[in-house]
Amino acid sequence: MTTISAEERIAMRDSFARLLEQRADEEALRKAIDTDAGYDPALWQEMADMGILSLLVDPEYGGIGGDAILLEMLMEEAGSRLLCSPFISTAVVASSLTGASTNDDMKSQILSKIVAGQLTIAIAMTGEKGLWTTAGVDVTARQNGDSWQLDGNASFVMHAETAGRILVIANVDNEIRAFLVAPDAPGVALSTLKTNDPTLRLSQITLSGAVGQLLEGVNGVAVDHAMNLARIALAGEQAGGVKRIFDITIDYLQTRYQFGRQIGSYQAMKHMAADMLVEVESATSAARHAAEAFAKGSDEAQTLVNLAGFACADAYRDVTAQAIQMHGGIAYTWEHPAHLYWRRARTGLWLFGSSDHHRDQYLTQLEAA
Amino acid sequence: MASNPKEISNEDVAIELEAWLDAHWDSEKRCEKGKDKLDTKSWLTTLLEAGYAVPTWSSDWYGRDYNTKQARIIENILKSRNVIGRSQDRFNLGAVTVYRMGSPELKQELLPKMLTGAFSCLLYSEPNAGSDLAGVRTKAEYVPGKDGGEYVVTGQKIWTSNANEATYGMLIARTDWDVSKHSGITFFIFPMKQDGVDIRPINQITGESEFNEIFINEARIPARYIVGELNGGWKVLQTALAYERLIMGEGATERQGKDKSKVHPLVGLARRHEKLNDPVLRQKIAQAVAYRHLNALNMRRAKAEIIENGSSSLMSLGKLAMSRVQHGEARVAGEILGPAGLFDGEAFPDSADMNFDSAKSYMHSIGGGSDQIQRNIISERILGLPREMEVDRNMPFRDVKSG
Repeated sequence: MTTISAEERIAMRDSFARLLEQRADEEALRKAIDTDAGYDPALWQEMADMGILSLLVDPEYGGIGGDAILLEMLMEEAGSRLLCSPFISTAVVASSLTGASTNDDMKSQILSKIVAGQLTIAIAMTGEKGLWTTAGVDVTARQNGDSWQLDGNASFVMHAETAGRILVIANVDNEIRAFLVAPDAPGVALSTLKTNDPTLRLSQITLSGAVGQLLEGVNGVAVDHAMNLARIALAGEQAGGVKRIFDITIDYLQTRYQFGRQIGSYQAMKHMAADMLVEVESATSAARHAAEAFAKGSDEAQTLVNLAGFACADAYRDVTAQAIQMHGGIAYTWEHPAHLYWRRARTGLWLFGSSDHHRDQYLTQLEAA
Repeated sequence: MASNPKEISNEDVAIELEAWLDAHWDSEKRCEKGKDKLDTKSWLTTLLEAGYAVPTWSSDWYGRDYNTKQARIIENILKSRNVIGRSQDRFNLGAVTVYRMGSPELKQELLPKMLTGAFSCLLYSEPNAGSDLAGVRTKAEYVPGKDGGEYVVTGQKIWTSNANEATYGMLIARTDWDVSKHSGITFFIFPMKQDGVDIRPINQITGESEFNEIFINEARIPARYIVGELNGGWKVLQTALAYERLIMGEGATERQGKDKSKVHPLVGLARRHEKLNDPVLRQKIAQAVAYRHLNALNMRRAKAEIIENGSSSLMSLGKLAMSRVQHGEARVAGEILGPAGLFDGEAFPDSADMNFDSAKSYMHSIGGGSDQIQRNIISERILGLPREMEVDRNMPFRDVKSG
């Protein structure tokens, strides 16, 4: 149960925004992209110190006990800077699943490390089809005496190369269970997958009899809950990103002159900009209302999460694509940031469920309403 | 009138109104308490005198000095009790315009009438002044006389709805031909019931005739019926148009979201025609419904922002967004129906609705400022992009080309 106030949420968002302004500008972003890890561990530590990583952790376990509303607010800031980090894997999905565990020792041990910034956890959830639903799980676990052995494939695993643990979602006799696996344990093979989006790190993990530690009490319901939080986080990130690239574009329309006029004085540009604003605001509304409904446990929560799942992703894709077009040649260069937003936007079209999947689910929700 | 305006709590607003309604309104019979049927004029007067017709207005002018939030509380209660004449501070365009921009004398004379059933139609567009509204050529000429004299008006107006029922028209006419186009327009409250006003219905592409053409031939307006300044009508019009767009953007969001048990019509249509399992159509239906849903969420955010900050730029997006919704829903309905969409008439109600909606969508994307004009407004006023160059902006109107 969250106890955080509206004022505390705003204060936290503002401190996070200031931190990112100082430590995660475009120069820092490009530096992070070029490292093997793909993110800045020093910034990660500062996020821990600020309480950002303990966002969803109960105060009982050293967290700030925030909710989906705060998560979405922070992700808008992260998204506007294209922040690269294992945040969604570790501080959203892993925190949420660990928090659902009934094994209190394990829970407090793992969460305290996450909160301190000492442990990042990668999520091995989907097989090669990339479904991010429990139906897409391609790993099975079987009990062998006191221990569990895991077999199968997980793909699209984010920031696995640097993770201290891998949280594997597996089938046990048609039930969903979660396990913690050490990346260097026998039977764990990890291969890096080259991505189009340089702000994204993905790996494939093959498990052949790897030993996993059962996260007791975590079931399919807990996994669905955690994935919905991940979708809200992603939607918030997309809302923040789409707003930022839009602002950059409007600024360019005001300062770029051709034929003796600001290019923003041409209707061809103005009408595109007006349509884009509708998309930007719709994405923001979708992300925020999904977070609010989820935090309040409203009946509409799943509908709104699915709506945000495609509306934010599609808006981000369309607006970044238009942004490049409206900038013209300058945005066709690697040095201009537009393509980084465009690549991140394209990542979001598939991550945690495709737009088409969410659209179909949205309609399923409406049919039942 | 209002007791302790401004300081009243939201709870007390509701309690006070409920008590007042218990004493004055019969929700069953939908008329004034103690009467057998509705006497519209009498009821509207009662509502007006109590300050509930226009709660956000000043208590000096029939209101209660309530804030937006309190006004919504009032609106919801009145709506739930089927009370007529509610929220005129939002929906009675003529009265809002006079209240916001009329002189005290004009307000004194017209508001009591306008708020008790004498409503207004719009006399803005002309055959040669649609999107370019500042190009109006209806002329109003001053003739001295008693009570400050009068204006004699001749010209042609178009796209006026409810012209036959209206007591007044909100008219823009040219009063100075030697200055630039925006500087020679005056905004009048025009008495509709007089000789020299000829109302002819327009046959629309939907088969309906909601709109009319108005031929005005030497009709008269008392000079005191000017709203704002003489030749200052363009400014008055901007405010009046902003209210109109606000209503258009908002009004159309209400189909979905509020009543959760009500399935969206496209889902019902697809179910009836056994297309709900077609994966391609499912995508299209979901997207069409989503656009409406997203606009409703934008408007919900806008209302929260208005309550918090007094205004919201999101409001201006509603009208443009709804064009896509209306056209999109009609298109998807056609795709659900398939070749059955070729049929029409009473024997084919789903097809007839779809064909009607397909045509009717243009009312939204053209009426009240076309989508293209909306995009200009959004890009210039919200995003601050430079204005489009207008070749006729600074020349005497007499010399402006028209056609």
